Amino acid sequence: MAEASRPEASPATRDCTSGLAEAFVSVECALPQCEDCTVVAQRFSERAGIGELTLAAPLCAAGVRPGQFVHLRLPGLEAHILRRPFSVYRACASAGTITLLYQVVGAATRHMRSLSVGAELSILGPVGSGWEPGRAQRCLLLGGGVGAAPLFLLAEELVARGVALCLVLGAATRELLVCEDAFAGLVGSARCHLTTDDGSRGFKGRTTERAAALLADEPYDYIAACGPEPMLRKVAALAAAADIRCELSLERRMACGLGACLGCVVETTRSNQRACVDGPVFNARELCW
Amino acid sequence: MQITLGGLVMKNPVAVASGTFGSGREYARLWEEGSTSQEPTPLSVLGALTTKGVSLEPWSGARGVRIAETASGMLNSIGLQNPGVEAFCVGDLAWLATQDLPVIVNVCGRSASEYAQLISRLETEEAVAGYEINISCPNVDCGGMAFGTSASAAAEITALCRAATRRPLIVKLSPNVTDITEIARAAEAAGADALSMINTVAGMAVDAKTRSRVFDRGVAGLSGPAIKPIALYAVSRVYKAVAVPLLGMGGIRTVVDAVEFLLAGATAIAVGTASFTDPLAAPQLVNGLASWCRDEGVHTIGELTGALS
Repeated sequence: MAEASRPEASPATRDCTSGLAEAFVSVECALPQCEDCTVVAQRFSERAGIGELTLAAPLCAAGVRPGQFVHLRLPGLEAHILRRPFSVYRACASAGTITLLYQVVGAATRHMRSLSVGAELSILGPVGSGWEPGRAQRCLLLGGGVGAAPLFLLAEELVARGVALCLVLGAATRELLVCEDAFAGLVGSARCHLTTDDGSRGFKGRTTERAAALLADEPYDYIAACGPEPMLRKVAALAAAADIRCELSLERRMACGLGACLGCVVETTRSNQRACVDGPVFNARELCW
Repeated sequence: MQITLGGLVMKNPVAVASGTFGSGREYARLWEEGSTSQEPTPLSVLGALTTKGVSLEPWSGARGVRIAETASGMLNSIGLQNPGVEAFCVGDLAWLATQDLPVIVNVCGRSASEYAQLISRLETEEAVAGYEINISCPNVDCGGMAFGTSASAAAEITALCRAATRRPLIVKLSPNVTDITEIARAAEAAGADALSMINTVAGMAVDAKTRSRVFDRGVAGLSGPAIKPIALYAVSRVYKAVAVPLLGMGGIRTVVDAVEFLLAGATAIAVGTASFTDPLAAPQLVNGLASWCRDEGVHTIGELTGALS
């Protein structure tokens, strides 16, 4: 599982744009199901080594909430016995599709890249707790690399609710900012801040540096972030310093994806919690790190 | 399809391996939902369910990385995390009591007396059909495999557990020994009704990039298809060495895998890591085994046990 995958988020959309808000108030998630599905679209950026895989998965598309993931089993990789968790990046209940964002880092993600339209695979999903912004009115969302994936459905729901939100998307280089168009199209370029480590696009520096500046300028009452763990630790520290409720989507190696094997636990103030079903989204204050 | 494993009557020979299945609640929900390729199935389709390891007190399990994939297998170092027997009884066991299948409780402890105390406590629970004595987990410092790699320690624990119960007592053996038949004979002589094998094979993973051990304890337990030949050989050898029935496990995924274990000498088999690849693997195996027997003209499943030509 040291692949590329992270539980990225997805919004629980009922239809493609309006999903909504009541979903945030009650936290009941759909139970995961095993669903055989087929690839309906594959987009791959050679320069970034990042792809978008769209699957016909009507059950998952109808039930998924922002922040949940699917546990994916790939055909033709029998020697790789574990499924891979991928956040649902986008979902369209009316079309019955979900889209996953993946970065090629190992055998499974290399194999994903080779899948063509019509390829069959199996998902277990939707799995996990979703984001819980509650009644937040000013939200700041931070995505590092492909960690942006689980934020899209969240952003979509917040926009549908008319909640003010600001995004910071960061990557090492401009080529890796593959989600820019999707997020900017959703919230407008002015609310979509970009950072690159090398300054080839947007602000030169880290997402957390940009976030610190935004937090100094305007009040926020909710922060959601997904990305590399060092970034998430900094986000948690920023949120704690500003006393803002903060949720983080964590990545762990996973086996069952059902909460049974205890392979993916995260140490929290409530003892060990399972990243698969108690997470992958955690309240930053509860994490022991 | 019915068999008897050391006094435990199972409607079919398919169980699930301890630690891969929690206490069944997570899988039961999924099975009852059904899927695009499977009808809704109750948990009771299983011949028996073996719970995750239970100890007297709560154990927090291993720190750091707990799993890693390997070629056709996986390593785990969960460290027997469990909420302790009291929480187990009011939670998972109370729920299991509502399910119509034999429940084997996997018990573990840090000392011989802890195993016996634990069994004494569980004797008051009607939902328990039998015990699996875990003397073979490589992922804890005290107890676990330390007991299962010494014939005298295995015998001592088995005898203490035997004295604490008349229920079916299954001793789970480690493959990480010079001669597994020696431990098997010791457990049998001390009163085991059946033996289960194999627990995971001790292994290790290294991260070349960081030049460090992947698992905090260094060692972890290998499972999955990679260990099937090791498990088959162990079952075959122990079958010839003891008279008690065997619960075979280690990389079983398909009907043919299961049949191979029966032929090698197992009376029943358990699905473990395969449930991670496919959470519906166990019910599919139950159905597939019945069809296989019909197609092959096998009248009673027991005919297959040890039937190597």
